[in-house]
Amino acid sequence: MTIDHDTLRHLSDASVAVELETEDMTLNIGPQHPSTHGVLRLVAKVDGERARDVQPAIGYMHRGYEKLAEVRTYPQITAFINRIDWVSGYANEVPFIAAAEKLMEIEVPERAQYIRLILTEMARIASHMIFMASYPLELGAATPLFFALRDRERVLDLLESVTGGRFHPNFNRIGGVKPAAGAGPTQKKASQDLPKGFLAGTHDAMDKLLATCDELESLIAGNEIFQARTKGIGVLPGEIAADFGVSGPNLRASGIAFDLRRHTDFLPYDQFEFDVPTGRNGDCWDRWWVRLEEIRQAARIIQQAVDAIPSGALQAKVPKIIKVPKGEVYVRAENPKGEMGYYLVSEGGQGPYRLKIRSASFSNISILPWILEGVLVPDIIAILGSLDFVLGDVDR
Amino acid sequence: MTTSPSETTDTGAGSFADWVGEVASAVGSEDWSADHGTAKVMVAADAWHAALSTAKLELGLVFFSYLSAIDWANDVAVGDPPAEPVDERYEVLAGVADLAEGRIVHFSTTLPKDGASLPSITDVYAGANWHEREATEMFDIAFEGHPNPVKLYLPDAFEGHPLQKTYPLLSREVKPWPGTVDVEPMPEVADPEAPSTENPEA
Repeated sequence: MTIDHDTLRHLSDASVAVELETEDMTLNIGPQHPSTHGVLRLVAKVDGERARDVQPAIGYMHRGYEKLAEVRTYPQITAFINRIDWVSGYANEVPFIAAAEKLMEIEVPERAQYIRLILTEMARIASHMIFMASYPLELGAATPLFFALRDRERVLDLLESVTGGRFHPNFNRIGGVKPAAGAGPTQKKASQDLPKGFLAGTHDAMDKLLATCDELESLIAGNEIFQARTKGIGVLPGEIAADFGVSGPNLRASGIAFDLRRHTDFLPYDQFEFDVPTGRNGDCWDRWWVRLEEIRQAARIIQQAVDAIPSGALQAKVPKIIKVPKGEVYVRAENPKGEMGYYLVSEGGQGPYRLKIRSASFSNISILPWILEGVLVPDIIAILGSLDFVLGDVDR
Repeated sequence: MTTSPSETTDTGAGSFADWVGEVASAVGSEDWSADHGTAKVMVAADAWHAALSTAKLELGLVFFSYLSAIDWANDVAVGDPPAEPVDERYEVLAGVADLAEGRIVHFSTTLPKDGASLPSITDVYAGANWHEREATEMFDIAFEGHPNPVKLYLPDAFEGHPLQKTYPLLSREVKPWPGTVDVEPMPEVADPEAPSTENPEA
């Protein structure tokens, strides 16, 4: 039997026309998968290479901080809210302390405000450097990790020299900051301040950091594989992001130039020049680029703040026992991951009556079912990584 | 910068309080507050959905920040009760913000403790989905019309609603120490208004 071309074409048409009976497979990712940055579980229905109906399962790390806050005093709460987003522990403290200070109507000395601002920006750099290290790694590029972690180490050393802690500084007090750890045990006022050489050392470290940013950019941005894995992948339009409450670099990558540092009244950001980088397409590439640029802007802010830091007291006068007057206040700040807010309800006691913790990663990953709908399975990892969440910040 | 932290950010024409009043009247409410720079607008439970729709579609408050609740109770299992007796109720809060001037409005409504129920706003703000699930499991507040009203954080078989004030802190029930240590009163001080010793020269 001879088969001519027409028959062949007919045959191939027929095979395509046959309705294949396919069955969706349920794919379970996590809770212990390296790309989930903690214990996140995704239950995805997989149709061939496409993911459908991805449902995140969270709560594996729920520590009940909102309940715990109701039985703890204000100074005790400062200690555990460091652990919400442990990659940038310091940044979690400031809005909470600011909320209590607003209710108490305490004026924080300028020097303490500057120190808070410098350390908050250092926490931002530390957090973004973790992203710069881990994200290319998840996509198969190992080298950037060494560059990023080396410079994160510089920043953590500086944080440690002031606060005594690398991840959980617990350095803020209502009314100001506590005497610096590097100052030693003396009670003399002059030695309670920032450790010797901190300001010059910071300036230096920021110069090195800016050079590393250039290195990271030349190392990753031009990489064809990285581009192919991130450009046009996981596109998130700005209005969808806002609707879900996605904030921080993820929102800015979607083209919305909104940064709470421009609208804050408890840290002196209005004294410094900095840009708010935004993305054009809202894809994984933009989310990576926005964070790289934010490291540069943070370094820029720190250098200006170090040059302009005023002298003076580290603490306002506060009573020995902190009691916060009756009232309600909401304070939010631009954390490395996005909007961190505390709704504080005080009934005049030593601890809050209710503390609602609005953490950035929680809303940021609530977008997952939307953004992962219909993507290729390998892209799940690329998109997860680009959202840069921490499970402690999701589960609280 | 020497402004007091209690001052509000004044971002444009008119004062902050005027603006909060305008938001309140736009959603048909006369009950609002702007203390400590926190804009709070009280609405009735049956106006909840309409108020948030107006906020998003007409007032430009397109960013969904959070939704949560407060359990106002006189009998508390843990922590201190309110300073003065309060009406037993749930207060539901939703924070929505604009993306231009950095303003956030907290809409508030009250619900009875028995059979607390509110229309879901997931059709207005998609981000409310997880927040409403959290409020349901933590407080026992039902959200009618929620597309997926299952537990979020807690295991399916979990009983009780942990953020209710009547819910005990279980770890403390199981193991009193070290919990008992920190419910003791703070050490007596001769003058509680005296300045802290942590920074004596401040």
